[in-house]
Amino acid sequence: MTNKIENQHFLKQEVKITTALKLSEEALEALDEANKEIAIKLSRAVKELSLQNEEINNRAAELILANKELAFQNDQKDKRAAELVIANLELAYQNEEKEKRAAELVIANKELSFQKGEKKKRAVELYDSNKEVDELEKRVKERTEDLESFSYSVSHDLRTPLRAINGYAQMLSEDYEAVLDAEGKRWLGEVRNNAKKMGVLIDDLLTFSRLGRKAIVKSKVDMNALAETVMSEINQSMTHHAEIRFNNLFPATGDFSLLKLVMTNLLYNAIKYSSKKEKPIIEISSVRKNGTLIYCVKDNGAGFDMQYAHKLFGVFQRLHSVEEFSGTGVGLAIVHRIINKHGGKVWAKGKEGEGADFFFSLACNEAEIVENNMFKLN
Amino acid sequence: MDVNKVEILLIEDNMNDAELAIRAFKKGNINNTLVHLKDGAQALEFLYGTGKFEGRDTTNKPKVILLDLKMPKMDGLEVLTHIKAHELTKAIPVVVLTSSKEHPDIERAYSLGANSYIVKPVELDEFTKVVTDLGFYWLLKNQSPV
Repeated sequence: MTNKIENQHFLKQEVKITTALKLSEEALEALDEANKEIAIKLSRAVKELSLQNEEINNRAAELILANKELAFQNDQKDKRAAELVIANLELAYQNEEKEKRAAELVIANKELSFQKGEKKKRAVELYDSNKEVDELEKRVKERTEDLESFSYSVSHDLRTPLRAINGYAQMLSEDYEAVLDAEGKRWLGEVRNNAKKMGVLIDDLLTFSRLGRKAIVKSKVDMNALAETVMSEINQSMTHHAEIRFNNLFPATGDFSLLKLVMTNLLYNAIKYSSKKEKPIIEISSVRKNGTLIYCVKDNGAGFDMQYAHKLFGVFQRLHSVEEFSGTGVGLAIVHRIINKHGGKVWAKGKEGEGADFFFSLACNEAEIVENNMFKLN
Repeated sequence: MDVNKVEILLIEDNMNDAELAIRAFKKGNINNTLVHLKDGAQALEFLYGTGKFEGRDTTNKPKVILLDLKMPKMDGLEVLTHIKAHELTKAIPVVVLTSSKEHPDIERAYSLGANSYIVKPVELDEFTKVVTDLGFYWLLKNQSPV
């Protein structure tokens, strides 16, 4: 019996357990379900959280950048502020200067109106003096013309009696030589010598006075060919000779016949004044300098004392006696006048006993213009 | 002076220049008959047989006329104008003589028909040479139209 009761009890117990088991299984299942749901929710929450974290990080980075930008802008602002301070100072200074200038302007205006008044006075004075200058120029021109026609006719009319003096003296020496003693012959020689000198003087004066009347006809002049021509002409007429050196002289623009006269006179002088040297050497050269052409005729002859250099180019001015070197003192005056007429300058350097350099300048800007007008020699 | 015989007619007012020229011809052995007249008016009377030279045989013409430019009364250019304008005399060669090559009348002399223009040199030797050269040329070399 007990067993049976026990069994029954057992059974009851089993049912209870089974039921409990069943219940717990169900509970477990429910729990599992709940867990699953929680896990899903959790993972969702985690995901959401990580997204939010990322967002926060992004914002943080942006914030850092924005902060940097802000700092930079602040910096710039400070700089601008500093610049503004300086600019303001400058403005203040300029305002001050402006005021000063304004004051100065007032003074300057006063000065200007005074000067305007003076100008008017000067204009009146200038007009008067211009009239005077015109009058003087007219008179100078008349005088020059008078002088030129005077020197021309003097030169011309002097030749006639001179021809007679010279002619009769020669006739006397030709036809009456036997009658004259040595002294008589010498005197007659002196008469003829002096007549000859006077002839040269008259010719030189004529050339000089003609220069004043002659109009300049400019063309391009081959200075090498010109020097060559002058050299051969001089060689035929002079007893003295010198070694003359030149090469590649720049072409000049000028009056051919007048430039030839310049070269003739300079070379003639160079040969004459170096005639007492053992080895006379003459060099002709040319340079371009500041828009002008400068030609130089250099010799190693007697030279001259520089303190008399200003007298070289005057008419009838001589630095050597006729006994020492013959001449009339017109040659360099002719050179001076010709170069002056060309708008150039003449000057000289020298040392006694060592030689002389004679220079003349001509404008060289026209040299190219008259290319087609090249002077043909031979 | 045989006024009908003339080969060289020298018209020159300056007696010295005339004497030098005549001597130069002699020195140069130019012995042609030379007539020297002292002014232009006389020269024209001579050439055309008028006035003082009335009745002169005007067909007897000089082979050359040497004419000084500067003369009193009628100057060389006037004489030249007459000579070159006149049928009887226009073919006679005229050599103009002057003291200076600068003479402004040089162009006028040529345009009036001067055949040559000579500057009288100051030096007698040169003067002699010039005169004999021109005598030689106009008297011997040149084929005279007369």
